[in-house]
Amino acid sequence: MRKFLLSLTILFSFSSFLKAELLITQANVHIGDGAAPFTADILIRDGIIQKIASNISPQSNWEVLEANGLNVTPGLISPTSNIGMVEINALDDTRDDESSLLKSGFSLFHAFNPNSTLIPWNRSNGVTGTISSPSGSAFPFWGMGSYFLLDASMKITGLKDVAMYGRLGSSSGSRAEDILMIESLLRLAASIDLENIEDELDDSLLATKLELQPEDILAIRRLISEELPFVLETNRAADILQAIRLKETYGLNLILESVEEAPLVLTELASANIPVIIDPMDNIPDSFDELASSLDLASILDKAGIVIMFSTQRSHNYHLMRQGAGNAVAYGMNYNHAIRGMTKAVADIFRIPNRGSIAVGNYADLVIWDGDPLEPSTLPKYVYINGKNMDLNTRATRLTERYSKETDKPRVYLH
Amino acid sequence: MDGVFTQKGCEMIKSNYLVLFCAFLVVSSCGESTFQETGQKLRDQAFLSTYQPMVSENVVIVNANMFDGLGNEYKDFDILIRDGKIQEIGQNLVIDGANIIDAEGKWVTPGIIDIHSHMGVYPAPGVRTSSDGNEATAPVTAEVWAEHSVWTQDPQFVLALKGGITSFHVLPGSANLMGGRGTTFKNVPSNSIQAMKFPEAPHSLKMACGENPKRVYGSRRQSPSTRMGNMAGYRKAWIDAQEYYEDIKDGKDVKRDLKNDTLAGVLSGEITVQNHCYRADEMMMMIEMSKEFNYQIMTFHHAVEAYKVADALAENGICAAMWADWWGFKHEAYDMVPANIAIVDQARGGTGCAIVHSDDAVGIQHLNQEAAKAIAAGNQAGYNISQARAMKWITYNPAKAAGILDQTGTLEVGKDADVVLWSGNPFSVYSKAEKVFIDGALAFDREKPELNPVTDFELGILNPNNSRIES
Repeated sequence: MRKFLLSLTILFSFSSFLKAELLITQANVHIGDGAAPFTADILIRDGIIQKIASNISPQSNWEVLEANGLNVTPGLISPTSNIGMVEINALDDTRDDESSLLKSGFSLFHAFNPNSTLIPWNRSNGVTGTISSPSGSAFPFWGMGSYFLLDASMKITGLKDVAMYGRLGSSSGSRAEDILMIESLLRLAASIDLENIEDELDDSLLATKLELQPEDILAIRRLISEELPFVLETNRAADILQAIRLKETYGLNLILESVEEAPLVLTELASANIPVIIDPMDNIPDSFDELASSLDLASILDKAGIVIMFSTQRSHNYHLMRQGAGNAVAYGMNYNHAIRGMTKAVADIFRIPNRGSIAVGNYADLVIWDGDPLEPSTLPKYVYINGKNMDLNTRATRLTERYSKETDKPRVYLH
Repeated sequence: MDGVFTQKGCEMIKSNYLVLFCAFLVVSSCGESTFQETGQKLRDQAFLSTYQPMVSENVVIVNANMFDGLGNEYKDFDILIRDGKIQEIGQNLVIDGANIIDAEGKWVTPGIIDIHSHMGVYPAPGVRTSSDGNEATAPVTAEVWAEHSVWTQDPQFVLALKGGITSFHVLPGSANLMGGRGTTFKNVPSNSIQAMKFPEAPHSLKMACGENPKRVYGSRRQSPSTRMGNMAGYRKAWIDAQEYYEDIKDGKDVKRDLKNDTLAGVLSGEITVQNHCYRADEMMMMIEMSKEFNYQIMTFHHAVEAYKVADALAENGICAAMWADWWGFKHEAYDMVPANIAIVDQARGGTGCAIVHSDDAVGIQHLNQEAAKAIAAGNQAGYNISQARAMKWITYNPAKAAGILDQTGTLEVGKDADVVLWSGNPFSVYSKAEKVFIDGALAFDREKPELNPVTDFELGILNPNNSRIES
């Protein structure tokens, strides 16, 4: 079985260098924009989607892949992950997702490890891009996340510092204090004299007490001056209203994450035009901030017109947003919106150009699935990044092969 | 009668019928086991199950597709539930005095069972004051019982019920080498833990390999701080327990010791061993230790590397309880392969015992989906695993591991009517448990939210006139 896959891989890698055109025929194409899928051929030239139409006639030198009705979606993009930043959570020396010096100004971009085992694993499950984000801290601004293409090339393709991440909710002090701090820092950042930033920080009691670096204030300033996307994790209904107030007062480009009590303030959230990142399977009232948690969350938000993206609670398996999306649909979310939430919505909201949807001119980051992409039992048959057919082997496939064979030898000799 | 009946004594008779029957007989009918006398001393007389099934109506589900939990699939079958038991399974049953539910091609399975849950001991909300799963004050706390920590208002019970869970095994956490006793429950919340306990189900002893015990105690500069310290800790405890057990068998007047009661219960076979163990090399050491002290390991839990020693597990009659795909959160979880469950299942000509477990309040609601992923991964790796076979991973096999297979875990005549009617094929993400029967009583009905259980915690908490969630 693996031999078969391997030979295809070699063929396609070979051809992706020698032949510039790939034609995928008779695919059930999910563009990623929330519209229903349709049958079409997709022509890719030099890694870019050239044409989407029915019955494109292949030229003799084109590579042709007959999809025969299989579902084709854009490569999935995780809106928050530890990919490339954390190898093993419980081992601090494999982690680069936290800073002891910087707060809001923490950029993890230069820590990205393109050889992490999380990359082939998530890619073989359909994830072609991610925003790797800092892990949570007590400070309401955690730092900035960066986008990375998961092509495992040592030449990293990414976008540095595409969004700020943070949290508002129960804390060791009062959430009133956190809101006060957020507002004070937003005002300070907006008014600060960039020429004399270090002096001004020295003069600020708050900045001194928090030991803020110039990078911290400059990053907060971007929330206002560039409308840098700000992903704020929050759950309690009253906190969601506070977040909406912050957006409106300071003109923030706000994205709310988790929002388990959003149904209680649905009208306000919908009219504030704030997209959300949710884990539709997390229906546990884990804290007193999440009492309204339920499996109906995605459906309720979707029906109110709120754009939904997906995250998962567990480490490492960011592709499981697909199972979350499937459960969201099972409980009433629109199917095509669920596909959009893993693809185009992420690219649009986090300003990742030319990716996230199957559209002419975009890079060909595509997944061809062996079934319904929202069924957990469905697996990718092919994953393309920049039009290149990616190897779907992982460390897990190597271990599986070693241990599922009959052998008289010690297994260390099987490789 | 409960007190003198020992699980082990009756299992020796090797007849399912007799085992069931034994519960109602006096001890002399149970055979000549040498454990009878010791059983009287070792088996605790306190905290026995007082579970009473809810009042049930006789029901027949017709035109159903079925996975029976034994590895079979049936199309267009009927199942008759009478007096809380499965009375008949077949086609075109003659129905007499039972409510008819037309399944219209939907699916019926046994109630789903989770062999690894911390519901109640780590309830929601996860507040410090009710986080009661680890008695992390000494590496061997075999004297504590998880059931004594269970918060009966935990809303997670009802969420699991909506996912088709009819029975679950609650374990202490894994901070300790020997963390205490685990207990199996029927998923019918009550104000008394005893009223939730699965009748006649054996206790387990929770043991833990690897990183957790050595981290918890090593960070306090106590033993164990290494894996070799772990091994020494277990063996020391077994040596003490052996002496205690021998003294009791010899009729000596021994002062009762709760810790050794539990460990001697393992040595006598009354208490199962549920052993948290990720790594293959550590599983092999635990097997060797079980031979040194002559006890049987029932299940390795979180057995991420079970696929590396699947043959040894099958040969030693040990189940592996696994996640479909969790990995990487610690080093001993680094070698996950998604075909793990399939490889364990197929070991030694398909004699392996694979279980899909959750250890998680979300996962327990979707064990069917976790099994679906494991089927796909197994088949991608070149196995040929049917859905009917995989249904055993979340029914028959966990029932066996919990010691309740004689009562539940399959659709067989005479068993407790723990039955789920699914809206579609249970391995699809779109299928939901529509009706869940426990001992024949309708414990959950998706179509009638007003009739479904709501824990005290959830009543009026966000709005005085509502429950926490309304469906």
